Amino acid sequence: MIKNYLKIAWRNLMKNKAYSTINIGGLALGMAVTLMIGLWVYDELSHNNYFEKKDRIAQIFQSQTFNGNIGTGPAIPRPLEMALREGYDDNFKHIVMSSWTTPLYLNYKEKSLSKDGNYMQQGAPDMLGLTILKGEKDGLRKINSIMLSKSVSEALFEDEEPIGKVVKVNSQFDAEVTAVYEDIPVNNSFNDLQFIIPWEKYLTLYEWIKNAEDQWGNNSFQLFVEIPENSSIEQVTSTIKDVKKESSGDEAEFNPQLFLLPMKDWYLRNSFQNGVQVGGRIKYVWLFGIIGTFVLLLACINFMNLSTARSEKRAKEVGIRKSIGSQRKQIINQFLSESFLVTLFAYVLAVVMVLLFLNAFNDLSRKEISFPWQNITFWLISLVFIIFTSLLAGSYPALYLSSFRPVNVLKGTFTAGKYAGLPRKILVVLQFTVSVAFIIGTVIVMQQINFAKNRPVGYDTKGLVQIPVMSRDFEGKYDLMRTEFINSGAVVEMSASSAPTTSIWSNRGGFTWDGKPDSFQEDLAWTEVTPEYAKSLNLKIIKGRDFSRELASDSNAVLINETAMKYMGLTDPVGTFIRDEDEEDPFPPKKIIGVVQDMIAQSPYEPVKQGVYGFDKYGNNSFYNLRLNPNQSASDNIAAIENVFTSHFPDIPFQYDFVDTEYGEKFAAEERIGTLSAVFTALAILISCLGLFGLTSYVAEQRKKEIGVRKVLGASVFNVWNMLSKDFLKLVVISCFIAIPIAYYVMNGWLQDYPYRVLLEWWIFLLAVIGAMAITILTVSFQAIRAANANPIKSLRTE
Amino acid sequence: MLLQLNNIFKWVQQGGQRVFLLKDINLTVEEGEFISIMGPSGSGKSTLLNVIGMLDDFDEGQYEFLSESVHQLKEKHRANLYKQYIGFVFQAYHLIDELTVYENLEMPLLYKKHSSSERKAMVADMLDRFNIVGKKDLFPTQLSGGQQQLVGVARALIGKPKLILADEPTGNLNSAQGEEIMDLFKQLNKEGVTIVQVTHSEKNAAYGGRVINLLDGRMV
Repeated sequence: MIKNYLKIAWRNLMKNKAYSTINIGGLALGMAVTLMIGLWVYDELSHNNYFEKKDRIAQIFQSQTFNGNIGTGPAIPRPLEMALREGYDDNFKHIVMSSWTTPLYLNYKEKSLSKDGNYMQQGAPDMLGLTILKGEKDGLRKINSIMLSKSVSEALFEDEEPIGKVVKVNSQFDAEVTAVYEDIPVNNSFNDLQFIIPWEKYLTLYEWIKNAEDQWGNNSFQLFVEIPENSSIEQVTSTIKDVKKESSGDEAEFNPQLFLLPMKDWYLRNSFQNGVQVGGRIKYVWLFGIIGTFVLLLACINFMNLSTARSEKRAKEVGIRKSIGSQRKQIINQFLSESFLVTLFAYVLAVVMVLLFLNAFNDLSRKEISFPWQNITFWLISLVFIIFTSLLAGSYPALYLSSFRPVNVLKGTFTAGKYAGLPRKILVVLQFTVSVAFIIGTVIVMQQINFAKNRPVGYDTKGLVQIPVMSRDFEGKYDLMRTEFINSGAVVEMSASSAPTTSIWSNRGGFTWDGKPDSFQEDLAWTEVTPEYAKSLNLKIIKGRDFSRELASDSNAVLINETAMKYMGLTDPVGTFIRDEDEEDPFPPKKIIGVVQDMIAQSPYEPVKQGVYGFDKYGNNSFYNLRLNPNQSASDNIAAIENVFTSHFPDIPFQYDFVDTEYGEKFAAEERIGTLSAVFTALAILISCLGLFGLTSYVAEQRKKEIGVRKVLGASVFNVWNMLSKDFLKLVVISCFIAIPIAYYVMNGWLQDYPYRVLLEWWIFLLAVIGAMAITILTVSFQAIRAANANPIKSLRTE
Repeated sequence: MLLQLNNIFKWVQQGGQRVFLLKDINLTVEEGEFISIMGPSGSGKSTLLNVIGMLDDFDEGQYEFLSESVHQLKEKHRANLYKQYIGFVFQAYHLIDELTVYENLEMPLLYKKHSSSERKAMVADMLDRFNIVGKKDLFPTQLSGGQQQLVGVARALIGKPKLILADEPTGNLNSAQGEEIMDLFKQLNKEGVTIVQVTHSEKNAAYGGRVINLLDGRMV
């Protein structure tokens, strides 16, 4: 029986090739989109799956209140470690202090590499469950050791045995390789952890780290923990949440609340607003999940519509089968197996499309998704997916077609009833509602990105290059390098700063100044810069003056930005002194000598943070900022700079970044979302149009006789076109009315995440409506005009 | 007795009024009869045939088929009944265009749970009997009207029905083809198959034993 069904289905497909192409092609397109999104969602959800203990590994976060605003972050102070070890050791299986991930130079013989890694306490390899390929598991036991990832080990030692070899780190100290571990795959936290050096070594490197031992206010470190199996994250959080508040004295005024953020949430749910977890990337997972479902739904609707529209052609068959003795159930089964067959073809086609476009999709979404050929679960899910889709697409046509009464259809007087077209119309409305909502959503995302992009950055990012100089080698070389770079002709001005221009690395409080309101808890971005900073960045001074090398007193001067001026309540800040409460005499207070324009250092969607630029007295250089010579090509400039750099630091690999590219990275996430949703919207519209196209051709076919009669009676081509298009246009207008409020509501919600955002303007909605109507008219017209131009004699003779 | 209709009424509502399609039909059909239903267009011939074939409902009256009360049966049982005992022949042949002659003949058997080898044998018998073995792989559209109707009759017969209902079986055929089909019916009737046909033609009606005349839904 099933063979008979499939045979009929196959012959029907072959007989109506145009219809089959639209049907299978549209469904395949929808399935391909859903598959692709499915792979993307799976990839997102499987983040950190490399770590078996991802439910029990956690990072300690803290929320603190400044002037009523709660800020949440992972930075914690050093004394917290001892407080936890001494009072709460039972709650943890591991307590691991860690530095931030920083690039360091690793030297072996003549090889020098810049790699990212951490200083961590001894428990790290066991806590993370690193796979040790060579050497000892407990590789951080001795202070002078270093653990390397396999890729770094291979890059550094090639065929040599790495264990026991001595590596020079940052030209600062020697470390002996004690272990080589398997690289942590991308799509996992710590995937950039290419080496680990014992925490104890870190403590010996810099004075400020040593001093931080008992500074509860110095939140400059990370702390990772693993909890025992019989415990829970919530339980431990409630036990330790007030540890800092109770032990830290002065810091209690900021009401520090500690909590554990489990590793499974690091990637998808790491966003906090006013101390409350508000999701994070998970919202995009949901967004794309919903888009995928809708696109599949659109494709299924096409299938339903085209199948029922064609019902008159199949009605006779249903009648014959019923008069021969088929039960309704059997007819339903027949049409369901037909839709299964179509879905199966569509699935195969969809897989081919996914394979063809997976690379492009990976580029767009910055993923490394590969097709899961060997994953049995994937194929099982695919099977469920095919069955589900064929039921979704086939159930309505099956129920509809099987309801025909043989007497009616066999008499040859069968016409679909007055209301037979109604479900079809509802489905078209649903399709266009989704498409119009997608159009509006995409336009708003694009607008928001452009809005933020067009926001003045405050300084000139073009032609500005930064070079990281966070190694001892660069100490005291600033003046020399500046002269050399400028003399090379590639650089017109250069400065150094303690943080990159595209980020804030340090926030400080605890200052007093004249006119400071009582109990004002200030939180200032703090960057130390050389006197040429404003000049090299083309940062405008709007009040007072810039630093001057000639004035010795400027070593105690600071510049503040516009926002800081307002934030601190200063109308005429130039000449005001600000004093660090912790610094007694002989440290002189700092004098504000000027106000600079606001520059966006953090998110371009947020207001600029109040910031202070201090004179870099002690050479706290982290970056050189080089203003390139505009009269030379960038590549010539870089070549000249590299020349100078390598002649002075032959052992250090030359690294540089264009600031405009770095700044552009801030838009990357939104741009990806924008591009992806544009692509999906285009596909959704394409699918809807395919359906509309198919539907119009059937309506034109159905009304062939009517059109013939009308033409004989004098209707013009325009009359006929108008008659056929009007019906569909009406449906699209209804869709717009449904889609606009939904899109408005959803997109308004999305924009709330961005303090600096575009206004929702009426013309966006109008544009979407006009766009949808234009697309509809275009799609419908092709068939309508063809039908209108047909020779009436021919169409009337068909009876 | 094969079937019996008692006081059968069928009507539709049109503008608040009942329009009768069948009015007080009383008819008994014995096994082995060959009956022709005649009457002008719209007199209810086809409706009566469809009621007998259980493809159409009626509004009032009793219908006994092989001592089963059809008017009390659920649709599923009714389908089982006519699938077992009744074969239909249509004016427009109503073969499935996507299936070959062989597959069209096989289809009724698929709904009756015959094994594959049984089906093969039965279809082969039919092809043989109607001399259409050579056409078994052709599609209906590749056949002439007469040949299509031959397949239609073969399809109606393949389930070995007691009763064949034919709705103007020669209506779309030329006279020679028509005669061939009518001779075939005569032959089948001799072999014991009961036949009820609707026809316009006196000539065709003459093949049957009894003629029922309808006018405006009434037997006259």
